[in-house]
Amino acid sequence: MRHSNVYRVASKDIVFESFDGEAVVLDLSTGKYFGFSDTGSGVWQALSSGVGVQAIAEASAIAAADLEGFISRLLEFGLLAPADAPGQPLPGEIVSALAAAREPLSVDVHDDLADLIVVDPIHEVEEPLGWPAVKQAN
Amino acid sequence: MARVTLQTLPDYARYIIDAAESAAAAFPVTRRSRLPRLDITTHLSPGTLADALGHAFVEPRDDEADAAGCRIFVAHPGIATIPVPARWGDAHYTEHGFATRLAETGLRGHFYHDLDFWQFYDPERRVGVQLMTAADAFPPWEPAAPLRPFLHWEYAARGMRLTHAGTLGLDGKGILLAGSGGAGKSGTVAAGLLSGLDSVGDDYVLVDLLRGVSARPLFSTLKQDAQGFARLGLEQRLANHGPLNWQGKYTFHIADIAPRQVPARLDIVALMVPHISGGKTSSVVPASRRDAMLALAPSGIMQMPGERESGFRLFGELTRLLPCYRLSLGNNPEEIAGTISNFLARGIS
Repeated sequence: MRHSNVYRVASKDIVFESFDGEAVVLDLSTGKYFGFSDTGSGVWQALSSGVGVQAIAEASAIAAADLEGFISRLLEFGLLAPADAPGQPLPGEIVSALAAAREPLSVDVHDDLADLIVVDPIHEVEEPLGWPAVKQAN
Repeated sequence: MARVTLQTLPDYARYIIDAAESAAAAFPVTRRSRLPRLDITTHLSPGTLADALGHAFVEPRDDEADAAGCRIFVAHPGIATIPVPARWGDAHYTEHGFATRLAETGLRGHFYHDLDFWQFYDPERRVGVQLMTAADAFPPWEPAAPLRPFLHWEYAARGMRLTHAGTLGLDGKGILLAGSGGAGKSGTVAAGLLSGLDSVGDDYVLVDLLRGVSARPLFSTLKQDAQGFARLGLEQRLANHGPLNWQGKYTFHIADIAPRQVPARLDIVALMVPHISGGKTSSVVPASRRDAMLALAPSGIMQMPGERESGFRLFGELTRLLPCYRLSLGNNPEEIAGTISNFLARGIS
């Protein structure tokens, strides 16, 4: 695997809640939501808690290629970033949740209502000064 | 033309608020509005927005001991020394960046590019300004839900939330209908009202989680597209209806079709995610909380400026507090209302 073994939540703009073991993640900066399958929720909770990839693979029946692909998507979405830290132990409740999970490892993006304007396209601004300076000019 | 950057945004907000407060005596009209736990004094010019403040809100019936007061200035050049609105001068405008920058200094705000339309609020002092280029230079959605961002910021500061959801109730108990536009919320609310159920709103309601989940009315306006208007028999019932609004919908008021006075609150017993099934009959089946959260939170958070994380947390808590259902909507308004009425009656008994 080309990524580091341990990951962290990419930024403080990535927030998440869990509902009956199913995670919903919101990227505050873009307004994109991410809904996880039950298996995906377990892996997300483990990864976001600093559990190493190898520990997750050993404690679950998830194929290595599936796990790598899933992590690649989370990195691509900007939800995770590599962490320069030792892996945390996998909590028992996540082991149980992964054992009980029935859905394939997946994450869905919900961006219907995400911010349409990431960079304001209306104003091709070259004005470097800003309000106070312009105010004085006025 | 003055331009505002992300760096100068808080200073500009304070400058605009100060300018409006300094000009307070020059505003021609003052309107006072009562809302749940909030008394709003609005200073503005005569016209559409002043008229809207007279009929857009549902006035609370129960006495709220802890009502707070706030002042809003709807300002434009021509009122004393109110300045011409600045333009946005930062190439990297994002809603979240804008809101975050203001929040760092204790302020709230929103900017609508097309009209150079600014809204700033200081929740600590409970004073806000809506700055426009002219008295009628506001977005078309303002009259149906005036001052909406200010209410959003003020209530969010108190742990409450303007929530994008429809409501229906029976004997004080109610459901929240969650979903983005087109999911069937408004049609379901109108169908329920016409069949004798109560509602505290079909678009934005005030939710708090203090003693379970409760919803209170804010805005009195209901909306229906022409097809729904006809299907519900409203063309005949509201013969004096006005023209279609900017969304191509008819607007009317809860009182026009409600069986009785709008209740002061509904104690919410379920979160429902409606969808138009195209079938003859309606049904209510359990849904996962994840799916209900994904129906409730996005529109409620993205249609409101700022307070994204607090909204996400509150909607998360709300979703965990309620049983969640998927409501498949049939094509008969009376049958839909009957399905919900039966659901509520079973829950109450």
